[in-house]
Amino acid sequence: MAEMVKLFVNGQEVEVESGKNLIDALKVVGIEIPHFCYHPALGADGNCRMCLVGIEDGRPPLVPACKTPAQEGMKVQLDAEHIKKIQRDVLEFELINHPVDCPVCDQAGECALQDYYMNYSLDDSRMRVDQVTKGKRMDFGSGVVHDQERCVLCGRCVRFTRQITKTGELGIVNRTDAARVSIFPGRPLNNRYALNIVEICPVGAMTSSDFRFKQRVWFLKKDPGICHGCSRGCNIYIDHHQEKYKDDVIYRYRARTNLNVNGYFICDPGRLSYAGENQNRQTTTVVDGSIIGFDEGIEALRERLDRARKPLMLISPDCSLEQMWAVKRIAALYGADLSGYSDSYVVEGDGDDYLINDDKAANRRGLELLDIDFSREQFIADLQHTDLLVNFNNDLFFGGVDEELKALLDKTQSIAVCSHQLPVYESAAVLLPTASYSEYGGTIVNEDYVLQRFEKSLFKNQDPKDILEITRLLGGAIIDASHAWPGIRQSVASLADIDPEAIPAEGINLQNSEDTDVGA
Amino acid sequence: MEVKILSTKFDIENAHLIDVAKSHGAYQTLDKLFSMTPEDVINEVKDSGLRGRGGAGFPAGVKWSFLPKDLDKPTYLAVNSDESEPATFKDRYILVKDPHLMIEGIIICCYAIGCHDAYIYIRGEYTSQVKALQRAIDEAYEAGYLGETVDGKDFRLDVTVHRGAGAYVCGEETALLESIEGKKGQPRSKPPFPAVVGLYECPTIINNVQTIASLPFIIQEGADAYKAHGTEKSCGTHLFGISGHVEKPGMYELPLGLPLMEVLEKVAGGVWKGRKLKGVIPGGSSTPVLTPEEAKTVNLDYESMAEHKTMFGSGGIVVLDETVDIVKLVENLIYFYHHESCGQCTPCREGLGWMLKIVKKLLAGEGSMADIDLLVELCDNIEMKTVCVLSAACTMPVRSYLNKFRHEFEAYVSDAAS
Repeated sequence: MAEMVKLFVNGQEVEVESGKNLIDALKVVGIEIPHFCYHPALGADGNCRMCLVGIEDGRPPLVPACKTPAQEGMKVQLDAEHIKKIQRDVLEFELINHPVDCPVCDQAGECALQDYYMNYSLDDSRMRVDQVTKGKRMDFGSGVVHDQERCVLCGRCVRFTRQITKTGELGIVNRTDAARVSIFPGRPLNNRYALNIVEICPVGAMTSSDFRFKQRVWFLKKDPGICHGCSRGCNIYIDHHQEKYKDDVIYRYRARTNLNVNGYFICDPGRLSYAGENQNRQTTTVVDGSIIGFDEGIEALRERLDRARKPLMLISPDCSLEQMWAVKRIAALYGADLSGYSDSYVVEGDGDDYLINDDKAANRRGLELLDIDFSREQFIADLQHTDLLVNFNNDLFFGGVDEELKALLDKTQSIAVCSHQLPVYESAAVLLPTASYSEYGGTIVNEDYVLQRFEKSLFKNQDPKDILEITRLLGGAIIDASHAWPGIRQSVASLADIDPEAIPAEGINLQNSEDTDVGA
Repeated sequence: MEVKILSTKFDIENAHLIDVAKSHGAYQTLDKLFSMTPEDVINEVKDSGLRGRGGAGFPAGVKWSFLPKDLDKPTYLAVNSDESEPATFKDRYILVKDPHLMIEGIIICCYAIGCHDAYIYIRGEYTSQVKALQRAIDEAYEAGYLGETVDGKDFRLDVTVHRGAGAYVCGEETALLESIEGKKGQPRSKPPFPAVVGLYECPTIINNVQTIASLPFIIQEGADAYKAHGTEKSCGTHLFGISGHVEKPGMYELPLGLPLMEVLEKVAGGVWKGRKLKGVIPGGSSTPVLTPEEAKTVNLDYESMAEHKTMFGSGGIVVLDETVDIVKLVENLIYFYHHESCGQCTPCREGLGWMLKIVKKLLAGEGSMADIDLLVELCDNIEMKTVCVLSAACTMPVRSYLNKFRHEFEAYVSDAAS
């Protein structure tokens, strides 16, 4: 429990955490101190001067809030006239050489300069001399585009490449107002976290070439989600929008802070995996090559399950706990073997010591907790004896075609309940479309046994049914996600006390291990 | 009027060579020094009233006493030989003419503060001076005054010369430390102060060359002998560099406290070519200008200068005669500070550039009265909102020119209108 102190802001007493810098301390009680260069992951630099506040009877009387720890009895002046003037003046200095690119700048709508100008200034420009001009539209590599004129030289991007990725591609060169962010000649940004720079840039100096000109951010609906790119389960924002006469589509992922899981950032592959939700989807129901209605497809599936002597159900390691439970129940109902075999999802050596894990499965721990076998031996054995494989969205060829499996699969009658069109499903007699993770809600457990919950974000025009709903349509007993929990609680000791409605934002550490803390 | 405490050997041929220097008294304080305790030395220096000669005028002994006691880290000394303040040229004399005086001062300071590794940060432009300095240091090592033992005493002292690369901002103490550490010379936020967190995060004292060079006299002759010169609060002597429109520009060692005009007339020969005085810059370009009226009543000490709303500064006196175009002078000033801004913080980086462009606009005959008002306002908006005082070093003098010589700025506006 942090030690609290009482201090005054504009004469009002507030209680904040002792020793925390004033920006963070006052943010908790809802008071904003404008700033550019400070970032909780990168520390305070103190160069933007936007966070200058007055300390009554203080020595000195004017301090940068980012470098001032909260102390008992401190009298912070934020609304005082002289402080408001300083804020207007600092903004004026930031704006005199800032190009009025707003109409063509991606950052519009989520730009600190715009927001602070609207909240703290609204002054007319007094700049009647030529602006300083610098480089624009510069390809910095890794999908990052830099505009030196828009840059406010807060240094966050430089500190990111030095402190977080430790790759040091960026630096600020030149003195005075010729200063600019730069890369070494021929040495562009080259790390798998570079796109975080676009996010931490408070203005439109760092933009993503992937997102460039695609959508105005005020149209985006921003829903919290969890990346399913690997077993880290980084928290994200799913930014999506449904244009008139079109479908709900994801435009980008952004990092969501979770100090218990991913800290402040996400990796680039995960960030760009939003495209996977939009593309290559299985949207039609196909039986023996012909497109039919979904209900007919369910019938076809049910019929084949009833006829099968020894069905085998294969479940994706990306499925939620609730989906896994529902499939487990239905496997029992149909007397089917159940496997979660997914060795293909493990890409040896791809992980790093930061956020990227070798295992690209989002919920392998779920298979483990629910006691669903995922060994190759058992799966191959079951596959050899089965007369019907029902594959619930498991990409057995994730890293590439597995020849031994392919040979067996080609000989086996199979049904694919799948979200995407993938080579592994090509031999399936029946294809049923299902929802992908941004289109349903559930809980997953990451590699460090952190239980996290996410809600449905996208509502597509033809809202695909998720795997749990499909099991219900097949006669399963689980009606919806919450209905799965009594059984899950009974069956899994570490989940016995979990109320899925009450999982906190940072997740629940099922093992209570300190290794789950990321910190950055 | 002139005295010789710092400049005793300046006129002696080859006094930079150790044998000549020694025959004229160099290193003779060491026996006495090592018979005192470091605490004694600090007190002696405090008692002498020696103030930092770099420009800020902070009492040297008091600065030394800020060092934390019993810290598990080494203490460092950084001698500020960056000497980039326009109109200042005193330290180079010491470096070239009597470097051993400074080395002796370094030994004294390091013994007092418990420092075994001293750095001399010399501006990169001093190419011949750094050679002279390094030669003197090499001589000192050879003679046993530096190295594992100092003059045979059980005290290790190593002195490293670190060359700057052409930045005025590296004369700012924390930017100087950053530069020694191999980083960009950008000032650090204070607090923490270098005495606690300095070079390599260790306690560090930064002193100007002249401050250090004043120490041998204080130790040898005692604090009282030093205080016998100067005024009660501005003790001792200073190497004044008088330049500009005078008959005899040059470097003159004088006690503090003399009336400015008396010095200009008697020592520097008065305004040259029989011209009239227009103004005096008292202590380097960063100090607010004095009108002839004000110059008549000011003395060359910290207190008198403060009373006249300017600063004693670095002792770089610049005399301006009637032909000086103040607006062009201000353009030159702002050009310098803008060029030298490290670019780290917003008001200085963007503001000085803006001010320069406005002055140029005035000079081109395209400025308005509002532009002059804007210049004054920008001085206020920039000053003291920045990480270091380079911005104030620009805005304080510029404001003084705008206030005291406003008619000259307005003349550029009227010309455009007519």
